[in-house]
Amino acid sequence: MMKVCIGILTAAVVFAVFFVVPPAEGLGYYVRLAFFHIPLAWVSVLAFFLGAWWALRYLKSPAPILDRRSSRAIALGLVFAVLATLSGAVFSKLTWGAYWNWDPRQTTIFVLLLIYGAYLTLRSAVRDPQKRARSSAVYALFSFLTVPFLVFILPRLYFSLHPSPILNGSGSIDMDPVMLVVLVAALVDMTLIYLALLKYLVARPDKGGYLDEP
Amino acid sequence: MKLSVWAGIRLVVHKEITAGLRFRAAWTAMLMFAVTSLACLSLALQGRDPGPVILAALLWILLFFSSFAGADRVFTDEAATGTLEVLKIYGPSQAVLFGKMIYSFGLLFVLACVLVPLYLILLDVTVLDWGLFSAVIFAGLAGIAAAGTLIAALTVGSSVHNGLFSVLMFPVILPVFLPAIGLTQQALTGDGAGLAYLGGIVLYDMILAVAASLLFDYLWYED
Amino acid sequence: MITITFDRVTRSFGGKPLFDSLDAKIRGGKITAVTGPNGSGKSTFLRLAGHLLRPDSGQVSVKCDDAELRRADYRDRLGIVTPELRFYPRLTAYENMTFFLGLRGKTLTTDTYRDLLKRVGLDETAVRGKFAGAFSTGMRQRLKFAVLLASGADVWLLDEPAANLDAAGRAMILREARQAAASGAVVLWATNDAGEEEKADEVIRLGGNPARRS
Repeated sequence: MMKVCIGILTAAVVFAVFFVVPPAEGLGYYVRLAFFHIPLAWVSVLAFFLGAWWALRYLKSPAPILDRRSSRAIALGLVFAVLATLSGAVFSKLTWGAYWNWDPRQTTIFVLLLIYGAYLTLRSAVRDPQKRARSSAVYALFSFLTVPFLVFILPRLYFSLHPSPILNGSGSIDMDPVMLVVLVAALVDMTLIYLALLKYLVARPDKGGYLDEP
Repeated sequence: MKLSVWAGIRLVVHKEITAGLRFRAAWTAMLMFAVTSLACLSLALQGRDPGPVILAALLWILLFFSSFAGADRVFTDEAATGTLEVLKIYGPSQAVLFGKMIYSFGLLFVLACVLVPLYLILLDVTVLDWGLFSAVIFAGLAGIAAAGTLIAALTVGSSVHNGLFSVLMFPVILPVFLPAIGLTQQALTGDGAGLAYLGGIVLYDMILAVAASLLFDYLWYED
Repeated sequence: MITITFDRVTRSFGGKPLFDSLDAKIRGGKITAVTGPNGSGKSTFLRLAGHLLRPDSGQVSVKCDDAELRRADYRDRLGIVTPELRFYPRLTAYENMTFFLGLRGKTLTTDTYRDLLKRVGLDETAVRGKFAGAFSTGMRQRLKFAVLLASGADVWLLDEPAANLDAAGRAMILREARQAAASGAVVLWATNDAGEEEKADEVIRLGGNPARRS
């Protein structure tokens, strides 16, 4: 049932992105890529929040299921983060002529990739299952700290080519209303896709695999 | 009789220093890494001036990677000597964590005392604001000590732990690394990001220390 | 008085299951032997009892007169002698002892130090100024006991404590263990030796695959 809803929503969003949304000022039809890139980036961060949440719960009262959820949330988040980075790089090339320029948003997603990568490296390096669960939970929480600092420091430290946030500081929304609706729908859709995939990953019987090397 | 945390910390620091002085290989590796890297750089530059931005970045790359060569030893040495278990039994968690953190900072301070003067001389660096220059180095090393001690505890008993330590450290230390470079640049040229960033680094250092303190108990105790 | 209760404890080691739903109750005031063939999990049992390891499922609860003992409160009362235990190799016996006892809030006067050495059969002149790393296995074992005795622990976890000791040493251990048990301490003694097993007040037999209490 849920999968059907997601399927319909996804189809609706894709349709809207290609046929309904008007071209954006200055970006033209390239703005379509933003409807994939922004939800992907949003989910990458959300994934980390979820992973950290379950990590905290695991530390408070260790149960293997919590470790399972935490590790798979983060591992899946890596996939979304990679896609977000790639789509962002392509967008950057199309609109500003360079794939990578270390602007604050790109730096943040890069750091997120580093954290994801470090987390997975840690998991594969610890043999004992209990120790592995505990160490990765601690690291998920510890590395979490770095993100808000970078999000606030970097924009002031370096010049930014990134478009100003759609919802800027004063709360006003400087975006075409149709675009906004489609964007929100895309965000919801991507989140649901992520959660459905996560549910599948947590529930399916393990063949061992990269996250839980014996 | 319950031991106060301060007394415990003092005991741990004293033990670390005593054992550390008798086991020179532990920190000489770190110092040699620093000196050889610096020498390589100086040789490669051949007296050319790369400019304040690159000079600032070079200093921090040297400091960070040299410190990584030694910072994870506080726990891996315990595992290597087989004393980790007995330390767990007798040592209260916070005393051990902060004792080792303080010792790490001391070690890094010694590293800086060796590396920084050589850096200034070999790369012919002029510093305009000595106060800022020293303060940034202090704050940066404190961050490495705070984060490094906890991450060292994470890597104990894992395979490939040397590379693992750097990989785990880097994202966490980035909020120190990037502003530190900017501030050092400012100390060299008098023009740059602004003192607010120094406050930011210090704040982050404190957050790292508090987070390490909260999380360490979960690593130290099994119940 | 302290009681340690194992409640349906399961634990694996290196992928191999050691205990499956193990129940046990260990009381203070007596010497409890833990026996079983090599690899049956005696050392693991001891560590589970000391909260140095966590069970995969089930619970190990430690109570002192109905009050639950955890973390630092429990660790403070723990004393352990195992073959894997090591002291700091580049500190002398005296420095090691003052460090560990200092962490328990106990000061070591020179008189107490001398008395302890005598009690465990260590020659003071042989030990003076010598790094613990240079000790023979017998000397090391005796030093472990010296620390245990001085620590005032009332939960003793002894893993093959008489290994590497001569007859006098073995007699010393038994004497000290009896004394500790008489004053109400929990004394858990893991051993392969039938003679030692005989001297115990209670026996927990591990073995079988996986182990259940018999």
